This record gives sequence, C-alpha cells and structure tokens, in this order.
Amino acid sequence: MTTPLSPLIHLIDDDEAVRNSLALLIGTVGLRVQPWTDPQTFLQTFDRESIGAIVLDVRMPGISGLTVLDTLVQQKVDQPVIMLTGHGTIEMCRRAFKAGATEFLEKPVDDERLLEALQAAVRQHVQSRQRNQADRQTRTRYAQLSEREREVLGLIVGGLTNKEIGRALNVSPRTIETHRANLFAKLEIDALAQLVRQYAALVDEDSRT
Amino acid sequence: MLANLKRLRYWLLAWIALSLLSGVFIARNELARQQDTFDTNARIVHRLLSQRVVQHDAILATLALLHGGNTADRPEQRLPALYAQIASAMHRGPNEMWPTQALTDAEAESQRLKRAVLAEVDLQTGTYQMVLAGQPDNYALTISLRNMVPWTEWPMAAETSPVQVRLQLAQASYLVQPGHAFTTGDAGWTFEARKVLAADSQPFEVVSQMHLGWSSLPWGWMLFSAGCVALVLVRGRMLVLQRAQQRREEERQRVGQLTRLNTLGELAAGMAHEINQPLTAILANTQAASRMLDDVEPDLPAARNAMQMAVQQARRASDVVGRLRRTVERPGSGATLQGVNLHNACRHALYLLEPELHRSQCNTTLTMDCVPFDVLADPVALEQIIHNLLTNALQAMEQVPPAARALQLVLTCSPTTGELHVLDTGPGIPPDALARVFEPFFSTREGGLGLGLSLCETLAVGMGARLSAANRPTQGAEFTLQIPLANTTAA
Repeated sequence: MTTPLSPLIHLIDDDEAVRNSLALLIGTVGLRVQPWTDPQTFLQTFDRESIGAIVLDVRMPGISGLTVLDTLVQQKVDQPVIMLTGHGTIEMCRRAFKAGATEFLEKPVDDERLLEALQAAVRQHVQSRQRNQADRQTRTRYAQLSEREREVLGLIVGGLTNKEIGRALNVSPRTIETHRANLFAKLEIDALAQLVRQYAALVDEDSRT
Repeated sequence: MLANLKRLRYWLLAWIALSLLSGVFIARNELARQQDTFDTNARIVHRLLSQRVVQHDAILATLALLHGGNTADRPEQRLPALYAQIASAMHRGPNEMWPTQALTDAEAESQRLKRAVLAEVDLQTGTYQMVLAGQPDNYALTISLRNMVPWTEWPMAAETSPVQVRLQLAQASYLVQPGHAFTTGDAGWTFEARKVLAADSQPFEVVSQMHLGWSSLPWGWMLFSAGCVALVLVRGRMLVLQRAQQRREEERQRVGQLTRLNTLGELAAGMAHEINQPLTAILANTQAASRMLDDVEPDLPAARNAMQMAVQQARRASDVVGRLRRTVERPGSGATLQGVNLHNACRHALYLLEPELHRSQCNTTLTMDCVPFDVLADPVALEQIIHNLLTNALQAMEQVPPAARALQLVLTCSPTTGELHVLDTGPGIPPDALARVFEPFFSTREGGLGLGLSLCETLAVGMGARLSAANRPTQGAEFTLQIPLANTTAA
C-alpha cells in the first residue's frame, strides 16, 4: 500500500482510540503514519529528515501540545505542524498560529478537512525541502568562484556590458569575456536570465557582508 | 486584646476627644452659672447691708432733730429695744463729756464733715461706734454687726453656702458669713466681689468670695455625657460594622456565584473533552471505513474492524454520559415529603431575596385567597423552586422601567392542591418559546444558561407537583406551581 518513500505523518495523541482511528483514516490516502503516545519520546526520537507533517493534540497529560510546538520551532524542525484540540478557544488558536502551526483543527475532525490539510502540509514540506536543496547547491557553486569572478558576476547582475565591466575593472573586454565563460561553466548556467535569477540574491548578500 | 485596641484606637480617640469637649462645655456652663449666682448674691448682700447702715445715719439724724432743746426725756435709750443691731446709744449734752477720747475725736470730725463718722471700730468683736455732732446734743450709737445682718432677707443659706462674706475696714475685717468649707488654697476657680457700703459714714467694704475646687465641677454630668458619647459611638461603630458585614456578604455571594459558574464551566469543559475523544474516534473510524469500502477492491476485514472500533467508542461516550449523570445526580432526590406551609415558604423566599427586590424597586405583594394550608413537599426543593421562579420574574422585569415592575405571589387552593401563582409584569414569554421554557439549555435571556426553569420543573415533578407557564392577558408571565395538599394525601 505505502512505500517507504511516501511522506511520513507523525501523529501524537495520548488517547489510544483517537490515535488508532486517525491513523487508520490517514492511512486510507496512502500516507504513512507513525503514532506516538508520549510527546517526550516523540521529541527525542522522531526522524527529522523524513518528508511529511506532524499532527499534534493540544490537550495531553504532562506536556501541552503548545509546548511541544514551541520546542519543535526552537529546534528548527521544518515539518509543518497541524494542531488538534477538543475545545479550541480563540486565544489558543491565536497562540498556536503565532507559534508557527500550519493548521488548527477542532475535534471531532471531519476526514476531508484533516486529509486536505495533511496533503497541503506535505506538499508545502516537499516544496520547502526542494527550495532548500536548490539553495544549498547554488551556494556550493558560488563558493567555487574566484575573487575576480565574483566581482565580474556582481557587475553582470548589475546590468553592465562586457565593455563597461572592463572599463570599471580597468582590464580589456577580452579578459572579461574569459572570466564570463569560466563563470558560466562553474555555475553550470546557460543563459544570462537564469544567472541573474539564481544568483542576484546571493551576490547581494555577499556584497553586504 | 492589643490587636483589639489597635483596631479600636480611632474610635477610642474620638471618644476621648468628644468626651473632653463635652466635659469642658458642661464645666464652663456650670462655672458661668455659679458666677452668675454669686454675682447676684453679692449684689443683694451689698444692697441689704447698705440699707442697714444707711438706717443708722437716719436714726442719728432723727435723734438730732428730735432733741433740739433740753429734754429730760431720753428717747435714745429706747433704741436698743427697737433695733437689734444697736447695742447702746449715748448722748452728750452741752456740758457733758464723752467717756472715751475716740468719741471726742469723732465728734470733732463729725462737726467738720457735717455728717456722722465712725468712732471706735472693733471688727474683731463685731462692734463699732459712730457719732453725729449736733447743736447742742451729740449722739453716738454702738452697733453690733452680728445683729445687723438681716438674715431673714439673706439670699443664701448662711450655714451651708460656700460664699464667704466679710466686712472690711483698713486691715481688719468682720466675718459675716464664713462660707461652708471655704478655702482659697487649692487649685480651682475663685470668684470675688468687693464694694464699699453705700454710706459715707460707714465705709466698710463688703468682700464676697467663693472658691470652686475641681471637686465642685459637675462630674456626674460630665461622666454622663461621656457615657452618652460612648453610646453614640458604639452605635455608630455597630452601623459601620453592619455596613461592612453587608458589603462582605454581597461580595461573598458574588464570588460564590462566580465560583459556581466557573465550576460549571470547568464541568462543561471536562465533559466536552471526555465526549469529544470517543466522538473523534467514531468519526475517524467510520469515515476511514467508508473510504475503504469506496476502494475498487475494498479491504473488508479492515473496514469491519474500523466499524467495530467505532461501536466501542460509541459505548465509551455513552458510559461517560452515564457516569456524569450519576455524579451530579442529587443525593437528596426522592427525599421524604412532608407538610410545608406554602405561605411561610413564600415569605421565607421573599425574605432571602430582599436585597434583589429592593434593588429592582419592584412592587411585591403576597396574597392568600384561602385559609392557610400545608402542602406535601420536600422543603428544600420547594424553596429552590420558589426562589428560582422569583429570580426569573425579577430578571424578566429588568427589561421594563422600575415604575412598571410588579411582582405578585398569589396563593390559592382547590380541594386537593395548593397553588402558587407567580405573576410578573415583564415582557412575557414569546409564543413560540412557551412550549420550550422548561427545556434544559433553553433560554430567552441573553447569556442565560437555560437551567433555572428546567431545574424547577425537575424538582417539582420529583415531589409530585406540577409547574406550568403562561402569559398574562395584559402583560407579563404567570408561573403556576400546583402541589398536593398535605392533609388530603395523608387521609
């Protein structure tokens, strides 16, 4: 039914019946579920690298769901968190969203709402992981550039022609063209537009530091 | 004890200050009164003594006039018999000599001044001589001061009066009235009046003195006033305490109400959680089963399992409700019924609600259209029903102006039942709500829990009574409580 690579949903609820039934329901759309009884055990042992989401009950003995949420945010866990509560007050809802919850649902929860929220959360998580990965790659390639190449890249992103860059750096346009070719090769870029789109932010960040 | 004193110190200080003030006031008043009496008496004494001494002048002058020539008759010898104060009268004819030098000198002086003068004065013994020189006869009188005082006209009781009266001439003085327990030594107040007698011939100075010591202040009255002040302050303190007590009572009631509401809220929250958990499981299980059955190749055992889990959870929810019912079930329900005077029960409920009735300024009447009767009821439940009905009426009438508020309790009876009608002049019950007023959690009031009337009805039914609601033809609602009579049921 489910493959090991399908998204993993962490379900934390102290009530066994609720946990089992929700796990069953979530399983019907092909998502893997890992149920947790104790929030502490969950915080200590869950797989932070997996793609998926966390479903967290607010009212649990010992440690409140909101506290668990705070801890997750502090530890920079990037899985989206969906809060579940029996009697949600506006104040509790506000606190949950402020702390970084993606969704706040009231028990008993309708299957459509829960599953849609979960799927949206998983999509969001996948996207953010991809974005992060792309970002990491861009940075690695940028780090390979020489000092001069970075200077040239900055001016290219700034919209200057080879001639203008040559004048600015007091070298011949010819030399600039060589730098430019090296630069494109190192960054594995084919088009100027792509270069600007991917590296403008990084150049900006670099020049500021 | 010390703590008590500390708490009471302002009252004590106030008592001391007020007592002192009133004491000083009373003492000053008394002193002023004494001074007044003293002054009046001193004036009277001066006048009386002056009158006497002037009389001496007149007697001498008359004698001089009578005996112009040589008369063998000696009328002056009869004077002592006529006037008690005249000890003796003497006469010096042209060829006679006065027995003493003092009289001779006095005559010369009299001659010169053309009036009577004093000769020998012995204030120690209280006698003096006075001489009037005449042509040719000269007369002298010996006056006894002891007999001169007109005691019958005297303004004071000579024995007991504290006033001392003296006649003084030069350094010597004669004590007319010693004054009862008279001293000037100790602390206190001394009144004094000095005035010379209104006769030039006998220039004695009348000295009146009175001394009032601390002990003569009107201590009785002062203590009495301090007592009065204490009484007033005690009463005031009682009022203050009473007010504080009342406020505390109100506060306690408010807090009690809040606590009850909070408890209710807590109960509701707990109940919601307890029921929500199985509901969540039931919903998730059935929906999961439904989804499984929708699959092209349904996993029937899994779906069945899910449905069984849902059934279990439904039982769990039902257990929760049952447990809750058993927990809050009134322990006294089904309490023994007894004869209760409905009129007294109403009066008691009105008494308990007095502050609320007073606050709502509503006109309240309790009337009985039949002979007194007892109903068969659980007294506590009955009281709760009446209390709730009255509170309900008062709350309904909050929506109309105070002048239009009237709460009527009418007692009637049929052969088998006693009835209490609670009539108000509020907005009445909306027609569509009339059938539902006794439903739990049904309320037409903003923020009302909708449990009051529901509870009333449950209690009424529990003791064999009936509670019904209706709108009055004019304005307001009428609640009727029918309870079986005590004696008919017993018979």
